[in-house]
Amino acid sequence: MAMIDLDKMLEKIKDTQWSLSDVDWDAPGAELITPEQWPKLKAFMADLMWIEHVGARAFAAMAKKAPDDTLRQIYTYFHAEEQRHANAEMALMKRWGMLEDGELPEPNNNLRLVIEWLDRFADDQPIYVLGTVVPMLEIALDGALCKFLLDTVDDPVCHQAFELINGDEARHLGVGFSVMEMQGHGRTYIDLVRMTAQLMDPRLILGIASYFPLLNKMRDNIVEMGLPEEKLYEAMRKFEKIGGRTEDGRRNPWFQIIKHHGRFVVDRKKRFYHAPIDALVKVADLIPRKAFPAVPSWVKEITYQPTA
Amino acid sequence: MKKSQPSPEQHPTADVLIIGAGFAGLGTAIRLQQQGIRNIVILERSDDVGGTWRDNQYPGAACDIPSNLYSFSFAQNPNWSRSFSGSREILDYIHHLLNHFNLRQYIRFNQNVSNLAWDQDKGLWQATTTDGGVFSGRTAVMAQGPLSNPGWPGIAGIEDFEGKKIHSAAWDHDYDLKGKRIAVIGTGASAIQIVPELAKCAGKLTVFQRTPPWIMPRPDFTTPEWNKTLFRKAPMSQSAVRKALYLAHESMALAVIWNSPLTRFAERLGQWHLRKQVPDRWLRRQLTPDYRLGCKRILVSNDYYPALQKPNTKLITWPIDRISENGIRTVEGIEHQFDCIVFATGFEVSNAGTPFPITGIGGRSLNEEWKRGAQAYKSINVSGYPNLFFTFGPNSGPGHNSALVYMESQMDYIVRSIRTIKSLKLKALDVRQSAQDDHNRSIQKRLAKTNWNSGCQSWYLTEDGFNATMYPGFATQYAKQMADLELKDYRLLAEEAASKTV
Ligand SMILES: Cc1cc2nc3c(=O)[nH]c(=O)nc-3n(C[C@H](O)[C@H](O)[C@H](O)COP(=O)(O)OP(=O)(O)OC[C@H]3O[C@@H](n4cnc5c(N)ncnc54)[C@H](O)[C@@H]3O)c2cc1C
Ligand SMILES: [Fe+2]
Ligand SMILES: [Fe+2]
Repeated sequence: MAMIDLDKMLEKIKDTQWSLSDVDWDAPGAELITPEQWPKLKAFMADLMWIEHVGARAFAAMAKKAPDDTLRQIYTYFHAEEQRHANAEMALMKRWGMLEDGELPEPNNNLRLVIEWLDRFADDQPIYVLGTVVPMLEIALDGALCKFLLDTVDDPVCHQAFELINGDEARHLGVGFSVMEMQGHGRTYIDLVRMTAQLMDPRLILGIASYFPLLNKMRDNIVEMGLPEEKLYEAMRKFEKIGGRTEDGRRNPWFQIIKHHGRFVVDRKKRFYHAPIDALVKVADLIPRKAFPAVPSWVKEITYQPTA
Repeated sequence: MKKSQPSPEQHPTADVLIIGAGFAGLGTAIRLQQQGIRNIVILERSDDVGGTWRDNQYPGAACDIPSNLYSFSFAQNPNWSRSFSGSREILDYIHHLLNHFNLRQYIRFNQNVSNLAWDQDKGLWQATTTDGGVFSGRTAVMAQGPLSNPGWPGIAGIEDFEGKKIHSAAWDHDYDLKGKRIAVIGTGASAIQIVPELAKCAGKLTVFQRTPPWIMPRPDFTTPEWNKTLFRKAPMSQSAVRKALYLAHESMALAVIWNSPLTRFAERLGQWHLRKQVPDRWLRRQLTPDYRLGCKRILVSNDYYPALQKPNTKLITWPIDRISENGIRTVEGIEHQFDCIVFATGFEVSNAGTPFPITGIGGRSLNEEWKRGAQAYKSINVSGYPNLFFTFGPNSGPGHNSALVYMESQMDYIVRSIRTIKSLKLKALDVRQSAQDDHNRSIQKRLAKTNWNSGCQSWYLTEDGFNATMYPGFATQYAKQMADLELKDYRLLAEEAASKTV
């Protein structure tokens, strides 16, 4: 994949919009969900939908930090598109009888931590931090998870919705990797040191403390659904392959950091990594609901209703 | 539109042909009349005077420069009811000017000019109207308004919408808004005045925002009776207040036009205003501008932020994908449905062309010459287009002070020029290209250092980012620029011997 022309990409994004009302959410096929799939699928969808939603918030932060107007507009669209994915996934949950009228699925505690972090600190992060973490999340959680889902669920409406979603995701990844290369392009040694110096920022450390367990938590979810975790790892290795295909991409120190982290995640033998992170997942589960502050108001914007 | 008179093909030649009967057209006529020039024809496409203030009668319409400054210095009004008067009251003031200065005799209503051409042999400007009428004048004044043609956004599917569509600059007062589901597109000067009013009566009100504006607190109050009496009995006191307001606005230039510590101060004031009125962190984030204050027009309001937080009102910042039969589809995948869409989307600004064809010496086309951004000499004349004067021409726009202050400088310049043409018996007064070029070089150099050219998109700039709109300086500097008619900058062509240039 060569560097893409962002202006053309923006035009393409504008020309390939869809909305929830393009899908008939009452079409037959819902009955193809087996009773034994149902509870696991419910937990999985709730997490997936929340991941889309926090991804949306990350794009909102990136829009504020975009180096030029085209990228700012692209991220503004991606922010809304991730929200659309969350809305569409909620509409699927509603279709499958997983939501009461007006109900919003509960985010798990790991996600709650991520939401809290994004709300407080995301806007202060330099673009190259989120610009690298987000493609990793997209390729691993979003892109890969959706594929597993389609392997197990036969409902045609689900397939129709995810065809639309995956079309968007392909563009997100195209832009994501292109920007990572741009960030590495022509950087001097001093720039690179400055980019990594960010690691010392306590606000970012908090972010890391919520991002790492999220990956492990999703791995557990996948295993729970009876899917081979190897597939998630395959996707994460793809990040390494695409992100590192050019000199510029490899020079981006944040690519290097996330890549190495990815290698830890996919290797269960790295006990010194997984033991404490798994512990964090468990600890997060123990945090009482009341300990969290009220959810930020952007969280309440999601809806399964195609019209308002 | 009904015709006020049968329009014969050719009308008698006027000394001054004015296009537009807003503040600028009427003000120019008053000043000419005061100098004894009365052979004036004003062509107005509508059936009433008032321009901006006739057309913008949307709920909440008002000026955002204090009325004591947003009025003519030579016709002060002691009776303004508020510090920032509403649109109706400003229109009443314009009607008062019309009657008091007896201007109706000059105006030809329902005459929509579609072409203006210079006849070199006769030394006349000829205006053709859409009815086929031809009006000629030895001199002509473009007073057609900087913001007089409503602008519609380029959103796909506008024609598909089956509900009611209203543009803020052409309000339909017969449409009952009560209890309706209403959308407002745009968050500029008009929108922030409309939204608080609609929030009072709409069943559901949704405001679609692309870029948040900087909003300052608005020191609005009703004028106490003793104050009106004082102004009536001692006009000097009103002039003093006007002077003080003028100076206060002049000082704002330091924050608005150039990036200075005062810009930071004003930004902090804006942020404080927002924090005080909006407790929710996310909404505050949506409403926080991410460009430098002054880059776009700065707005004033005390009730816009509170209105957005009413239970029936909602702000949407998702990009709009398209308009459908029933409403507006945004990129988060939802169709927001409405009975009525209000387009508070501003105006078509002619900063890269002319509103209708203007032809000068040898058939040259001004629209063509302005394609890459409008340029003029001191905003008022263009080389190759003799005896033609522009109000709010290129680089005459104020960002921090009353438009009427700038307008008065232009009107006086026009009167001085026309008197010169008459007294020297000139056929043509045409500014030299070299003088025009010099002026623009210096203007553009000064503009490069302003906030308007600091990187945001606004109607001040052409699509290529050329600033053909704003004047980079204090109103006082502009007045100084317009104070003298420097004949050395012009080519003068005598009336009798058409070949003899001076
Ligand atoms: C909502 C709004 C609020 C504003 N508030 C302020 C403020 O607070 N302070 C400030 O300084 N400025 C303000 N302005 C700017 C305002 O436009 C000017 O202050 C001033 O009113 C301009 O007067 P004008 O006579 O040049 O133009 P206009 O008032 O627009 O008058 C032009 C006239 O020309 C007529 N016309 C146009 N084209 C043709 C044609 N082809 N043939 C014949 N007639 C034609 C029009 O019908 C109109 O009557 C505001 C503008 C708007 C739109
Ligand atoms: Fe997504
Ligand atoms: Fe995505």
